Amino acid sequence: MSLREFLSDRLGRTALWLICIGLAALFLFATGTQSGVLTLLLIVLLLVFLVVNLSDFFRQRARLLELETVLEGLDRKYLFMECVSRPKGLYERRLFDLIRRAGRAMTGEVSAARASQREYREYVECWVHEIKTSITAARLICRELDGTILRKLMVELAQIEAHVERALFYARAETPEQDCLFRQVSLEKIVAQAIENHRFLLISNGVRIETTHLDHMVYTDEKWAAFILGQLLQNAARYQGTEPVITLSARPLGRQTQLLVRDNGIGIPAHELPRVFDRGFTGSNGRSRGGSTGMGLYLCRKLAVFLELELYMVSQEGDGTAVTLTFPAGENLTEL
Amino acid sequence: MQKIMIIEDEPAVREELALLLENEGYAPLAITDFTEIPEQAVREQPDLILLDIGLPGRDGFSLCTALRKTVPAPVIFVTSRDAGMDEVRALSLGGDDYITKPYSVPVLLARIKAVLRRSGSGPEPADLLEAGELRLSLTKGAASSGGKTVELSRNELQILACLMVHAGQIVSRADLIDALWDNQIYIDDNTLSVNMTRLRGKLAQIGLPDAVRTRRGMGYQL
Repeated sequence: MSLREFLSDRLGRTALWLICIGLAALFLFATGTQSGVLTLLLIVLLLVFLVVNLSDFFRQRARLLELETVLEGLDRKYLFMECVSRPKGLYERRLFDLIRRAGRAMTGEVSAARASQREYREYVECWVHEIKTSITAARLICRELDGTILRKLMVELAQIEAHVERALFYARAETPEQDCLFRQVSLEKIVAQAIENHRFLLISNGVRIETTHLDHMVYTDEKWAAFILGQLLQNAARYQGTEPVITLSARPLGRQTQLLVRDNGIGIPAHELPRVFDRGFTGSNGRSRGGSTGMGLYLCRKLAVFLELELYMVSQEGDGTAVTLTFPAGENLTEL
Repeated sequence: MQKIMIIEDEPAVREELALLLENEGYAPLAITDFTEIPEQAVREQPDLILLDIGLPGRDGFSLCTALRKTVPAPVIFVTSRDAGMDEVRALSLGGDDYITKPYSVPVLLARIKAVLRRSGSGPEPADLLEAGELRLSLTKGAASSGGKTVELSRNELQILACLMVHAGQIVSRADLIDALWDNQIYIDDNTLSVNMTRLRGKLAQIGLPDAVRTRRGMGYQL
């Protein structure tokens, strides 16, 4: 608040004050008060006026600054009214109480929303476990079937599982710290897990996978990393060209480890590349081939941020896509 | 016959699992009464226990601790809970392995076999496979016949092993690809043909040019 703002705010009141003083001076002058006495009186009155207004200005400015500091220092800004001291003036106090009541209603809403979000997440997890049990039963029942039908059903069951898995990770991504478990784990194991999870899709699409130099240890959450990798494998299988080959190779990069996932699929148009990690973005490939939800890569990016995993994608239309996953340096994290 | 105790509350999974294990030559024992499980285990003395985590009444974690105290059998957790935290907890409570649902049948069987072997109650895996005159050493990666020996690549070795295990039967190309993927060899149909040609060439070197027959439209037969 500047002095100018303060004065313009009090313009009406000041004008009224000056008019009153002027009228009083005129009246006194007309009734025969000596001009010397009158001048003295006017000077005193103006001084009192100045002192009152300036002290008001400085007090208000100090108070606003204090409130500003409290708000700045707050993590959850909506708890502001609970953290400031109660004002002294009657009007401001009443106003303060009103806003505080509104704030409390808001806090209640927020915690109710939080609770319902948590409950929903718990329900989704629970539901996912139930469904997985049913998929397990279906798989066990299927094994009696003849080869071709078995394979077709396995692909469909795997598809259901992939969708369920995405729902689970979407729910988990809201509060990742609850499920993440960072450990030293071999990259080979993560890759084998991701391939195993999607083997029916990959085999039925005639995909060949080459793995080289995967004998590195990385510091990450195994399940999450395998999920991210799984999304990339699914995309590679879905947007394949002729004779699909996926190459997985790793190399150390300083204290980090870089995993390169390269396919020879149809690639992504350059103008769509910056948006592939956006929620719900399906792109021209997704539209022409169908079956795209626009969720896979969005979840990848979301989880990668939490795993401190760098995701970088390059693609050449008609040539294929390459994704680089840079795992963080393990030693730094272990010390934490 | 090895006795495998199944502690699983979902009837469909429990019954199918019991059937599967029976077909595989184990003696399954599916529990339907979920009270006093440790006492039941003491009575039955199983060689292996498959344990679900989400059970009625008592959860699998505390049950595992109780089982560890009462019976020597190894415990494999089989559960749909897949958070890393659950796995670490399960293994630190004395679980021998942790398999998440939905598992694929071959993976489950392989891991049961591995745990049984580790606990000393399962048979050692055969290193030497034999079919007619053909002998295959899995550790050396070499096939021999009539005094002649030839070294095989990783892919050729797995293809030949799969055919020899099912000697006399027709093995489809899809089954062969499945078997290779089980062994972290992720090949496609074309690569399988290439490897098959090479394998036949090597078998010809040891005097068995027609060992692997092609059954048109069905697969291969040794």
